[in-house]
Formats: sequence, C-alpha cells, structure tokens
Amino acid sequence: MLLGSILLTTAAGETQPKHRTGGMEPIIATENLRKIYRVGKVDVAALRGVDMAVQEGEFVAVVGPSGCGKSTLLHILGGLTPPTSGKVLVDGNDFSYMKDAQRTKFRRHKIGFVFQRYNLLPTLTAGDNITIAQHIQGDGFNPHRFETVTEMLGIKDKLRHKPYALSGGEQQRVAIARAVICEPKLLLADEPTGNLDSENSQIVLNMMRALNRDFRQTILMITHDSEAASAADRIIRMRDGRIILD
Amino acid sequence: MHRPIRTLVSILAVAIEVGMVMLVVGMTHGMLHENAKRVEGVGADIIVQPPGASFFFALTQAPMPVQVGDRLGEIPHVLAVAPVLFLFNAQGGIDLIYGIDMTSFNRVSGGFVYLHGGPFSGPYSILVDDWYAKAHGVKIGTTLTFLNHSFHVAGIVMHGKGARLFIPLQTAQDLTGARDKASIFFVKCTDPGYTKDVMAGIHDLLPKHQILSIKEYMSLMTSNDLPALTAFITAMIGVAVAIGFLVIFLSMYTTITERTREIGILKALGAGKGYIIQVILWEASLLSILGVIAGYFGTWLAKKFIIATFPTLTVELTLHWALWAGLLAVAGSLLGAFYPAVRAARLDPVDSLAYE
Repeated sequence: MLLGSILLTTAAGETQPKHRTGGMEPIIATENLRKIYRVGKVDVAALRGVDMAVQEGEFVAVVGPSGCGKSTLLHILGGLTPPTSGKVLVDGNDFSYMKDAQRTKFRRHKIGFVFQRYNLLPTLTAGDNITIAQHIQGDGFNPHRFETVTEMLGIKDKLRHKPYALSGGEQQRVAIARAVICEPKLLLADEPTGNLDSENSQIVLNMMRALNRDFRQTILMITHDSEAASAADRIIRMRDGRIILD
Repeated sequence: MHRPIRTLVSILAVAIEVGMVMLVVGMTHGMLHENAKRVEGVGADIIVQPPGASFFFALTQAPMPVQVGDRLGEIPHVLAVAPVLFLFNAQGGIDLIYGIDMTSFNRVSGGFVYLHGGPFSGPYSILVDDWYAKAHGVKIGTTLTFLNHSFHVAGIVMHGKGARLFIPLQTAQDLTGARDKASIFFVKCTDPGYTKDVMAGIHDLLPKHQILSIKEYMSLMTSNDLPALTAFITAMIGVAVAIGFLVIFLSMYTTITERTREIGILKALGAGKGYIIQVILWEASLLSILGVIAGYFGTWLAKKFIIATFPTLTVELTLHWALWAGLLAVAGSLLGAFYPAVRAARLDPVDSLAYE
C-alpha cells in the first residue's frame, strides 16, 4: 500500500504525515481511488481503484481515451467532487474526509485549473479574469506577481480586452495566468490544448513547461493528444478507470 | 448586467415599486392634509357634529336642526356659528359641496376672496374655488350640473375655505330633503383662548354630540386614524413590494440558470457558498439601488404630471416615505434574490462547468 507508508489518516479526517522512506512526500497520492456516478438507476464506475503518486515539481500527463476516467480523476484531485471510496491526498490533505467547504477553501489556496474551453468570465477583461482569482483567495492584489505572470505569458498588451476579443491561444494564456496567479501548489490542466491549433498548442505547452521549469510548478495535465503529453516529464496511461501504465 | 433588457426591466420594476409606494402614500396623505387645511381655513375654532358622525365629512349625514346653531350662538364667548350642509356629488367626479348660509359663513371665515364674479346671485348659483375652476375650465357664467340640477357659476373664490364648491344652504336642504337641517356647525370664539370654555358650554348643551376643537380635528386627519385608509395603504405597499420581489426573483433566477457555467468557474477558482451568495446579492442590490434612483426621479415626474393634469389633487412627497420606499425596494429585491443566490451556491461545480 503506497499511502500506508506515507501517512496516517485519523477518523476525524485530519491527516498526519508519516515518514516515507527514500525521498520527500508526494504532493498527490491516491490509494484505491474509486468514483461511481449514479446515472438514473444505474451505477457507472468512472474510477475503479487508482493508485498514483506525483512528486512536487513534476509535470505529469495523464492520457487515455474518452471515458477512461481521466477527467473524473482531475475533478477529484481538484476537490471539485469527492471520491466514492479510497484515499486521495493532496499536499497532505485527505479529500476523502473533507467537506465541500473545506475542499473549496483548499482549492482556493492550493490549486489552479486550466480548462479546455478556457472558461474565462465573459463580462470581465483579461486582467480582471486574472485578478478575480486573487480576489477570491482574499489575499489582495499582488502587483509583482501579476507583472511577472502576465509578462511571462506574453499577455501584457491584452489585459484590457474582453475574452471575445482574444484568440483561443490568448484566452488559454489568460486562463493559465489566472490559474497560477495565486501561486498554487498544484496546476491541474484539463485538455489545455484541446481547442487550439498546433501553433497555439505548442505555445501553451511551452509556457506550461516554462512554468514547471522556472517556478517548479507541479502540473498534472490530462490529454488524449500524445504530442501534448510528450511535453510532460512523465506520462500516466489510463483505461477503463484504471492506470495501465506509469 | 450583460443582458440590457432584463437589467432594464428589473430596474423599471423596482422603480415602479418605489413610485407606487411614494405616490399612494403621497396622494393619500396629501389629500388628507390638504382637506384638513381647507377645513382649518374656514376659520372656526370648534366644529360640532351629530353623534357618531365621521370626521371624514363626505361620510357625514345631516341630522342636526339648524336651530341648534341659534342655541350655540348664545353660549358665552361665541362670536359666530355657521351651519353647513354637506352634499356628496359623485356625478362626473367626486365632489364635496358645502351648502352655506353666506352671512354666518362669512362671519366665521372672514369672507371669501373673490378672484372673479361675486356672491350667490340666486338659489341655483354656485361658487367654485380657483383650483376647481382651473381643473375644469370653469368661468363666470359656466353652467355646472350637480345632483341633476344646473348651477350657474356666480363667483370664483380663493381656495382654502373648506370645500371647493359652495351653494346656498336653502338650496342644499331642498335638494336633499333635509329641510332646516345641517351636517356641521363651525363655531368661532371671540378669542381662540376661550375654545375650551366654549367646548364645555357646547357639551353641556349637546352632551352626545361630537365636539372637536380645530386642533383636535387636524390631529385626527391622518391615515392612522382612518383604519380603512391604513389598510388600503398597506395593501398597496404590499402589492408594490410583491412586484419588485417577483421581478427581481425571476430576473436573478434566470440569471443564475444562464450563468451556471460562470458559477462553476468561480467555484473552480475556490469561491465558497458565501462568496457566490454575496456576488448575487450585490448584483441585486445594485439593480435595486438603480431602481430606487429611477423610482425617485419617476415619482417626481409623475407628481408634476398629476398636478398638471388634475390640479385639485395633492401629492405630498416626504423624505420619510422616500427613505421607506427605498428601503422596502432594496429589502424586497434582496429577498427576491436570496433563493436564486442560495440555489447558485449549492450548484455542483462539475455539473456547472459542463453546463452548455
């Protein structure tokens, strides 16, 4: 058991790190992670026992065909939905025992999301789409971080534009900026190049690589594009709700 | 705010709510106060009405013999007594007509100020005040029909002497079959300081009659002393608040449905239930505040329009009721937005992000 040697989880849901031999603790650790959705009167198993560990600073790609459970895995790792059973530890916190409000608070401070469809708020400018993450976090506007991130992602001249006035690539860069502006421990990317042409895909992947390299940003990216996956340091393959290759 | 028509409709609904509250209250209070001021303008110190009579004159019948006035005149410190018979005309409008004995009414009131024409020239002549004349385009010589009889306008007088229309007492008695009867006696003392003494004297003479000093009468002429009016105002305010509540509820409900995905985005960014509720209530507050401002402006315009169109109406807009109307509108809007806000806060983030 991977987690058994890493930590001890109390009945109250508090997790206590336990010594792990041979290196530092992983930022993500799952054990026999299962998720069953109820569709009508039918139970559909999206995850059938996933065991995995990701170290801090890693850039991991999770690949697999549609319906293999990779999006569900990402949603659970992001605290958007709880697992049905099993354990999921992110930065030492066990989501299995956390309530929705606790997971929301954790997500606010520790996790950044990048989506395939960018998911920018259409009524806000690019700049406001980025700063709203800081507003929600509640730590206030950090101009230095804002400057650094927007400079790195090459969107400084687009900050006053509304999303509809930006290209797909630009929108995705704004979305990445929003995801990392609060310095999350973990960046979760859901098919970030899925809606982009090859040129913009490459730009976005390069930027994610740069984030990983320059800021030691831990990234977990799900994709069905093997070319996109090759940007990562490590590739995990999934099928039918299980990891088949790591 | 990215749906301009919906935003505009929401603002308009709140504005109508504010306008309804302010105009209903303003017109009710305005009419009452203006009516009371006119009665005060008769110049009497005391009014005497039959037992059980309403201080709302239009509802008063005429069971007192005119001769009672002679007895009242004998009470020490009484300068003059004016019997008045009320006629309530609902033909082509709603008017309270005073049937007056010109001599005694002039003694109590100090006499009319004639802007045009002069006193009664015959049994079927009539005096109208300047507001009524303006509202109905009445001039000297115009024929007015009341109670199935034609009256010749003999004079246009300055407003503020009780009613807007005056006919001879004898004619009023003939028209209503109340021969030698009066609805009210206006009593003027030789000095206002004798009011209490005179009231005591009248009470000795007419122990069951309703005797009010003009100050008491003025203090009674508020909506609080007219239960039906209070109920009417409350009902109208309720309707107005319900309009604002329902429109904001519907507006915010459709907004939530339409923005399900955006709510999912906020949740993915870590926005908690409190944050989502706060954002929606803030938007509702903004809409209602804009509505309140529009409502104030609209009410001001409506007042101008009402007074220009119906010069005899009085709209009394007060800061007190403006604040109440604004407060009710904002509170109603927040209440209307609360359920949609809670519903939004409870949305599942994964389902919301997948919403098309």
